[in-house]
Amino acid sequence: MKRLSTVRCLGRVTRPACERSRLSVLTRPRHTATFSSSSSRHHDFHFHAEPSKENTLSPTDLSRLIEEHAKHPPRPLTLSTLLSFARPLTPESVLKSVGYVFTEIPRRLAMRARSLESLPFIVGMNPFITRTLQAHRRAFQFLIMHPPVKTLEENARFIEQLSELVQSHANDIPAMAKGFQECSRYLTPEQISEFLDSTIRNRIAVRLIAEQHIAFVATWRGETKQTDETHLGVVDLACSPKEMIGVCGSFVSDLCEATLGASPQIVIDGDADATFAYVPVHLEYILTEILKNAFRATVEWHQRHHSHTSTVPIPPVVITIAAPPRSDPSGPNGIRTPCPRYLSMRVRDQGGGVPPANMSRIFSYSFTTAGRGAEGNGSGYDDDGMGGDGGGSGSGGGLFTEITGRGVQMGMGTIAGLGYFGGSLDFKSLDGWGSDVFIKLRCLDDGGDIEL
Amino acid sequence: MFACRVSTNPAGRVSALRGLGQLPTSFSALCTRQPGVRSISTAVHFYQNRQLEEYASKPATRLTLRQLVFFGKSMNEERLIKSANYVRTELPIRIAHRLRDMQALPYVVVTQEGVAKVYELYWTAFDKFRRYPEITTLEENDAFCTFVRGLLNDHKSVIPNLSLGLSLSSPYLLPDRLDTFMRRMLVSRISRRVLAEHHIALTESVKSQGQSSQVQENVGIICTGLQVQDSIERCVRYLRKRPRDIDEDVFSGSLNDAEWSEVIVDGHKDTRFAYIREHLEYIIFELLKNSLRATRQKHPSVRVLPPIRVTVVASDNDVYLRISDQGGGLISPEIKSPSDLFSFSHVRNATRLADARLGALRTLSSSQQGMTATVSEQIGKWQRDSDGDAPAQGVNPHPRIGIGLPMSNIYATYFGGTLELVSLDGYGTDVYVRLPKLGKNLEGIEL
Repeated sequence: MKRLSTVRCLGRVTRPACERSRLSVLTRPRHTATFSSSSSRHHDFHFHAEPSKENTLSPTDLSRLIEEHAKHPPRPLTLSTLLSFARPLTPESVLKSVGYVFTEIPRRLAMRARSLESLPFIVGMNPFITRTLQAHRRAFQFLIMHPPVKTLEENARFIEQLSELVQSHANDIPAMAKGFQECSRYLTPEQISEFLDSTIRNRIAVRLIAEQHIAFVATWRGETKQTDETHLGVVDLACSPKEMIGVCGSFVSDLCEATLGASPQIVIDGDADATFAYVPVHLEYILTEILKNAFRATVEWHQRHHSHTSTVPIPPVVITIAAPPRSDPSGPNGIRTPCPRYLSMRVRDQGGGVPPANMSRIFSYSFTTAGRGAEGNGSGYDDDGMGGDGGGSGSGGGLFTEITGRGVQMGMGTIAGLGYFGGSLDFKSLDGWGSDVFIKLRCLDDGGDIEL
Repeated sequence: MFACRVSTNPAGRVSALRGLGQLPTSFSALCTRQPGVRSISTAVHFYQNRQLEEYASKPATRLTLRQLVFFGKSMNEERLIKSANYVRTELPIRIAHRLRDMQALPYVVVTQEGVAKVYELYWTAFDKFRRYPEITTLEENDAFCTFVRGLLNDHKSVIPNLSLGLSLSSPYLLPDRLDTFMRRMLVSRISRRVLAEHHIALTESVKSQGQSSQVQENVGIICTGLQVQDSIERCVRYLRKRPRDIDEDVFSGSLNDAEWSEVIVDGHKDTRFAYIREHLEYIIFELLKNSLRATRQKHPSVRVLPPIRVTVVASDNDVYLRISDQGGGLISPEIKSPSDLFSFSHVRNATRLADARLGALRTLSSSQQGMTATVSEQIGKWQRDSDGDAPAQGVNPHPRIGIGLPMSNIYATYFGGTLELVSLDGYGTDVYVRLPKLGKNLEGIEL
């Protein structure tokens, strides 16, 4: 139990900006949501919720509702539709946007709840899993029971509750990961992987829909510096990788200095000043992940091969940015076909690389090189999975390991979320020298046909 | 060559039958000129196939690099003769497997221009090998070496012919099938050349045992202390000596005439391992050639072209080479992913059927110089051209036939290595080569 609280404490203290809600300006002191006891008025649903008690649904009723919602596949909602609410931003489009929140989020929450419930009983008994399930059920209930939002004042109140809701789920994935780790003898790594992958994707969708709505309103109210010229809700039309690298880099650098005593420099080359349309929070998440791996590997490898008094400098981490090509390549007939544009980045380190035997497992959520049959002397990528017991690859360990091995991040595995926007990640390693991570991020100017 | 004229009129058939006594050898000539007509010569070939099947039913004896080296050390007359007979019996088995592979392809493919020629060449080689008597003396071995050298020479046109034929066959074969077939053909070809050339080199070394050999670390064609940086620098020297407008006829508009990019080597620069020099240098050469060309094309107006960085790394089991350029990446409408560049199928790589490509292949197939897929062959050609000799038989001096990458991939994977490309679209390309350094992997044939 003590350990549990330590993890949670660390989670809060060291969670990077992406997990801290940027919308804290909108959050007022907590107050419990008030449920109306009016009968259901949910437009598209085939049934009505009839609460048996004043303020809450009975568990069986709730389960039935969840079941019903989960059965209907989410309506295909494209990112471009979502972004279209902001163009133009009017009271009507704000209300339309909130309508989407009410129809799309509960459905997705219900699906998550159902899949949690379908896990083997012994897994469901794990306190982390149980907690997560209850949280989903509560969130679902809140949304289902909420009266329709018809005016902008109601929307304003709803927004606060919504952002709290999103906030309260911030630790979902790490908690589930911890739970799965404890259940590793009851589930195969593939099952865990698949489950966490779809959970992450689902969570991204929910957050996107919720935060998009919140951000629209903030923009519309003029509460943020973001204008609809530069932002479409959570999409920043002029997201600067260089700036993001600066932010993430200094965060990771501080962490690295604190735990390992040193940190490498970052060198940016290529199209350093390129900008593109993306979700900054998402990019921050990805970059932080990758930089943590690279920094840790670099420092640990360097320390292993040089004494403390050595003056040999730590090799830098080199990030190369490649702006999206300006025009579509012409096909064989000279006809240009519109195709999605991507911004690419390569993060190159000299952290010793990964032995070929471990390569296929690096994306696994349960991978660890700390004493569980992995090869090599433990490169800098130890414990970038869920973390072994006792973590640490030797030197340093401690806090950094706690954070990278457990806590909020899950190493390379989390990058499954990258595929969500049609991007990709490729990992190449030179065993005995270093590694290259290639990421391709899709430009979201118009959202295209990305389905949420 | 006996040409059997076949016609459908009864008189013609009679005259054909009269010629039955002489066995025809030009199977391809008949097939391409009169497709679909059953000729007597193919019927004879059909029944003769039993001999082929006998050889094809034997498995190939795959070797590791270590075994090749081990066998080659402490060479003497007895071992040399043993080596000769191993080559004599092993090669027809491997050729037989390839012939059976070709026989399994659709009829329309093997009667295709290029493929038919290769089939004929292989059949002739198989026949000659299987009739070759056992070798018992050094003199007989010398004759055998001459025989083998001759065959290697005859087969110089195989690669362009096969590339041409298979690319033209793209409509008739699924991409996977086509690529698997092509891969097996090319790998087997390399393996046979390795065995043959290794034996010939061993023969030379036994002959010159009296004289001091300067490169003591060579065992046959394997260099036991191959220095990677040295190989890189050699390739770079040759490549940078080329004229700067060497690719100009390929691209419209003038290219930058700045000096070729510098090639900077870092990593474990003093890496040495046992490998076949020709293979390593071909890979390095082709990859650097691509990088140099792409870099020049991508930067039409800078004074100094961005450098290419090569990182050499030695781990416990492997030697790695990473070549990073700023050539703009591999974005192209013709391919979907970098590995499509290895494919000979038009479905995966649309450039295979581009007119210029086909033209170049046709010219090369019919020229006498052919193609052995080695660095020295390409250097020789440039030197001849720069000396003012007219290009042989009107061959465009620098046709791009698109073999560099697929062949590099085959060379790399022959002893169990890998070659991968990753593109940073808009910036450049990284190529990762991994070669096993302990020599413990079996030849990658028949896979």
